[in-house]
Amino acid sequence: MSEVLLSLNGVSVRRGSSIVLKDFDLDLKGGQIVLLNGENGAGKSTIIEAAAGIIPLETGEISHHGEVIIDSSGRSKRPQHAFGLALQSDGCIGSQRVEEHILNALDIAGGRIEIDSWLDRYNLAHRRHDLIAHLSGGQRRKVAMLAGILPGFVGSSPRVLLLDEPASGLDESSRTTLVEDLHELRERGNCILLASHHSDFNTCATHIFKQNQLIENELTISENRENRDIKTTSSRNNVVFRTGLALNQRTLSTLASNGIAGFLTLGILLALVDSSAIDSNLIQASGLFLSAAFAAGLVGDNMVKMLHEHRALDWWKSHRQGIPNSYLHALLLGSGLTALTQLGFDESVSWSLVIIGGLLTILTMSVIRGIDLVTSRLARPKAAFTRILTPVLILPFALLVQWITDSNLL
Amino acid sequence: MTKRLAEMVLLLGFLGIGMTLGLAFLKAPSVSINAFESPDAQRIFYWHVPAAWAAFIAFGILFLGSALWFFKRSDLGWKMHVAGAEAGLATGLMTVWSGMVWGSAEWGVPWDWTDVRLNTFGLLTFLALFLVLGRQSQPDGVETRDTFSTFGLFGFVLVPITYVATRLWQIRHPGPVIGGGESGSLNSEMALILLLGAISFTVFIIGHVLMSMRITSLEQRLESIQEAMDKV
Repeated sequence: MSEVLLSLNGVSVRRGSSIVLKDFDLDLKGGQIVLLNGENGAGKSTIIEAAAGIIPLETGEISHHGEVIIDSSGRSKRPQHAFGLALQSDGCIGSQRVEEHILNALDIAGGRIEIDSWLDRYNLAHRRHDLIAHLSGGQRRKVAMLAGILPGFVGSSPRVLLLDEPASGLDESSRTTLVEDLHELRERGNCILLASHHSDFNTCATHIFKQNQLIENELTISENRENRDIKTTSSRNNVVFRTGLALNQRTLSTLASNGIAGFLTLGILLALVDSSAIDSNLIQASGLFLSAAFAAGLVGDNMVKMLHEHRALDWWKSHRQGIPNSYLHALLLGSGLTALTQLGFDESVSWSLVIIGGLLTILTMSVIRGIDLVTSRLARPKAAFTRILTPVLILPFALLVQWITDSNLL
Repeated sequence: MTKRLAEMVLLLGFLGIGMTLGLAFLKAPSVSINAFESPDAQRIFYWHVPAAWAAFIAFGILFLGSALWFFKRSDLGWKMHVAGAEAGLATGLMTVWSGMVWGSAEWGVPWDWTDVRLNTFGLLTFLALFLVLGRQSQPDGVETRDTFSTFGLFGFVLVPITYVATRLWQIRHPGPVIGGGESGSLNSEMALILLLGAISFTVFIIGHVLMSMRITSLEQRLESIQEAMDKV
């Protein structure tokens, strides 16, 4: 008897002003493929996203491998066995390369497999190093789908795979290949929860969930073929840090957004303030030297904006491994701006102030980033006037400046 | 009668506030010219202190409403959250504005960025502004309510900090005028006008909250009617 790998117990989900899922129960064992088949708005995506722990629950709990990952009280924890997830909106960052997104999914799953043959299988090998933003909608869907299914081939332990409309926009041959792969994933003992309109999956689904009933699928075709021998190599650590670093280096987003704010502030200060009037013992001096670093941090983390693309933020949130950030670049930028400000006012560089400047940019950025992440669940996060809350940082900044003055750090 | 309750309470509050202002300018005794740089400006305290008191009540309602929505999914809680934020914004702006007028006259500057009470109170007002504008920018739904209730809950941390700020870090803002020991004692006539102000502002805030809750109820009713009409 296979183990229950995914369990939704008494799950209710509210979206907007209505309850879209009520007291929903579903258990998936290893080797089962459950096809969610229903009309638009029937709640298929809600079930997948609830199973991934992305959306808060009104009631009930979600368990992976017998361990609760999220419940209605808001408690959530990282699943011990990473799962595969393909969101309906892809969940890919446009500025990432094709191979990076897939390898990230594998690293999160805890092991790497060779991906060339997979890319070849779905006619993506020639696009391996391309940015996801440069792909067509169908190709991007393939990347998202591969990131969702490949964790099922990592190692020998079965996994939960959650696939929301994986075949949407795929050509016929790719859909046929996908069905073959799903057969193999099932035979390897994975459990797959699949939402789709396509009839192609009727041949591989073991169960069909329709109109609140789980029905055994009589059309399932068992394929007696040998599973491929797929070698798993060790994964690379720090996937979140690596992704943040790579994206920042590629897009220069921290320099382009935070850096511009910092340099503009510095330019205005240099234009308006007479450097000969600066007394390094005055409280104004330390405030002046840190202003550019503070302004740079106030812009927030541009990474959050990048992650809003195709709901990549939800993809990262669901895995609970952290969310890519720009902290290292903020540290360098804040330190550099503080040093430049001091030099600009003909002062000798105070290295302790330079470090404080770097940390100030990180802290300021992280507070704004936190506010942006909290409001990311809103229907219109960009319209939420979050910047009204930025004055929350002025008092700590003023107290920091006071402390620097009192400590004679200058 | 009950339909007009909010308007009547609000009107009563306005009358009381008007009377407090009249007494503050015409009847309240002058303060010592040695104690203040600008003794006449001190009369604004009869507005400033009760407005701050009312703002604390409003932020209390905001916190309670946020908690009731967040933990109990109470519809009444959400109405209290909305009403508390709007009333907090109104009274917060009254407090900040009157404080700045007094600061300009007494200190020579309207604001001091290093004074803890000024800044925490200013932040509470900014939080209320964010909650009011932010909520209006979003469609009503569980996501909107959860997010803004979270800010309502976290923002309340500022209330006790603001309250004790002048006791712990008296930088520029004056200490408490009532319950602050001998240094903060008032003569009876001053205390009476201040009490009238506090009662009037409390009545005003009750009226404001009742009115706001009624408007939210009407908005929800309108939305449900529109949804029903969409299905026809």
